[in-house]
Amino acid sequence: MRFIRVLPVLLPLLVLGAKLAAASGLAFVVNSGGASISLVDMSAEKELRRIPVLREPHHLVLSPDGKSLLVGDTVANEVLFLDPATGALQKRMPVADPYQLGFSPNGRFLVVNGLARNQIDVYDAASMQLLKRFPAASMPSHLDYAPDSSRVFVSLQGTDSMMAIDLGKLATLWTEKVGKTPAGVLWHEGKVLVADMGTDYVAVVDPADGHVINRIHTGKGAHNLFLSPDRKIIWVNNRVGGTTTSLDASTLAPIRSYAIPGGPDDIAFAPDGRLWITRRFAEKVAVLDPKTGEYQTIDVGRSPHGLFLNPNGIAAPSVASR
Amino acid sequence: MGDPFDLAAGWLQEHLLIPLLYALGLMQWEDVSYGWALFAVYGACQVAITFAVCMPLERWRPVERWPDAHAVTVDVLYTVISRVGVLPLFSFVLFYRAQVALNGLLADHDLVPPTLERLAPFLLGQPVLTFMLYAIILDCADYWRHRLSHRFRWWWALHSLHHAQRQMTFWSDDRNHVVDDLISALWFGVIALAIGVPPLQFPLLVLVLRFLESLSHANARVAFGAVGERLLISPRFHRAHHGLVAAGQRSCNYGAVLPWWDMLFGTADFRRDYVATGDPTGEEALASGSWFRQQWAGLRRFAATLAGSMAR
Repeated sequence: MRFIRVLPVLLPLLVLGAKLAAASGLAFVVNSGGASISLVDMSAEKELRRIPVLREPHHLVLSPDGKSLLVGDTVANEVLFLDPATGALQKRMPVADPYQLGFSPNGRFLVVNGLARNQIDVYDAASMQLLKRFPAASMPSHLDYAPDSSRVFVSLQGTDSMMAIDLGKLATLWTEKVGKTPAGVLWHEGKVLVADMGTDYVAVVDPADGHVINRIHTGKGAHNLFLSPDRKIIWVNNRVGGTTTSLDASTLAPIRSYAIPGGPDDIAFAPDGRLWITRRFAEKVAVLDPKTGEYQTIDVGRSPHGLFLNPNGIAAPSVASR
Repeated sequence: MGDPFDLAAGWLQEHLLIPLLYALGLMQWEDVSYGWALFAVYGACQVAITFAVCMPLERWRPVERWPDAHAVTVDVLYTVISRVGVLPLFSFVLFYRAQVALNGLLADHDLVPPTLERLAPFLLGQPVLTFMLYAIILDCADYWRHRLSHRFRWWWALHSLHHAQRQMTFWSDDRNHVVDDLISALWFGVIALAIGVPPLQFPLLVLVLRFLESLSHANARVAFGAVGERLLISPRFHRAHHGLVAAGQRSCNYGAVLPWWDMLFGTADFRRDYVATGDPTGEEALASGSWFRQQWAGLRRFAATLAGSMAR
């Protein structure tokens, strides 16, 4: 019985192998119309299970210490804290209308945009105490920070404006018109880029006064924009045109446009260089290979919106979800 | 492969609503428009399924046959407006915003608005069970809304439009005055806020309930038997509510889907068999007028009762 004799040696190896196999990467896809979060095995590119939430989640963000993934459930008025490695629920916290949320680069502030309630809440990230609420007319949607965490810039969809807030003084710096229905915001090379969803361009805004310096045409319904991990390309999703456009990050010149039908929205970058893109109207995530322009699709829930990839996440279907 | 309803709504949004909103400069409503698209798709399916089931029933075992069914065509218009257009738009542009605003106000004070899933956490992730509980609560709420609409003169002035139809068919469920519809939406809005009905999560609930309500108005000799009629409202049971003698402020069988509330609150009448329908006290315009004439007549009556109440 040679097998019995080698078992004590084999067993730890088998367990280790199983763990390595399980850590195949976990993607979190927020199904805003389905009141759930899809957990997707990144290696298999297959949905494993769904975490039910109360009402209408939209966006999510990793905490500065990397220990929690915060998911805003807008209509339920709560933020869920999930284990980013497994998806296990850590806690729930009442927060008014948490549509979009983001931590400052220094980890000191958490800004929560209440799109339906026309408010921008600035929290102390460590204590989660509300420092100040800024009324914001109207529909504050996306945000980004200056790299030194001194200011936050918020697009106001309902009034074609952007608001800049001084986080040190907790005071509004300016609110300026930046184009029709602004959505995604990105600080880039000393400027603020904002995707104007009611148009076909990304506006380049001077962070000092909100003045629009330039307009970069990308596609109909420019909605959201993301800087690639190597900082060489800015990716823009065009909601109405159903395209994703790459821009040269140094010149902002368009490089290529990819057809991603079904309302492309958020993007996350996988370690293999591919882009994961939520397609709101198609109930799918597209996994785009930017070299070939081809994409695979993964079925998820209704109206997928926010997206987070954890390449070290454990893709185990049996982890407790609630 | 996704849910076919969802994919149809997604197609509608991608190819019709979003380009339209973009052209009109209204892209800030693109997120909310998905809810409308979803309900419009479910509404269209409601109409199609109701037609496919009820029409053969009405042909097979009609209670009444009419040489001229012109009055029914107006009811078709009511149905389309109610299920594909106005109602979903109302619920998603107004109700949704109100729900978010009120819930957010409570959350500001660390108060978590009530939901069935919070009261009974085991319901989270149990959509079928949650669906059924919401349906029972909403049906009870609808019983009282309906009963009160017969009780108050000003409300009956509006609701009598629904009862004026002498050629009652499955299309008649939606023949309501728009003000009556608005009051109903407000009524359900308050109830939904109180128990936390998530409109996007349960469009199927609305579809099933509305189908059963349409079926109960069918011009068909359909009964569910002594036991079945005490579990679910049949065309026979609901027809008694629309009967000539039952119209007005004292009626019976107010329930929409479940007869339990009539049984519980003493308004059930299981004896009447396929009576003639209509409201002998109402004016003719309410019964056989065009959509606009019916609406105008209802509004006039409503204003008159309000003025009468104030004069007293």
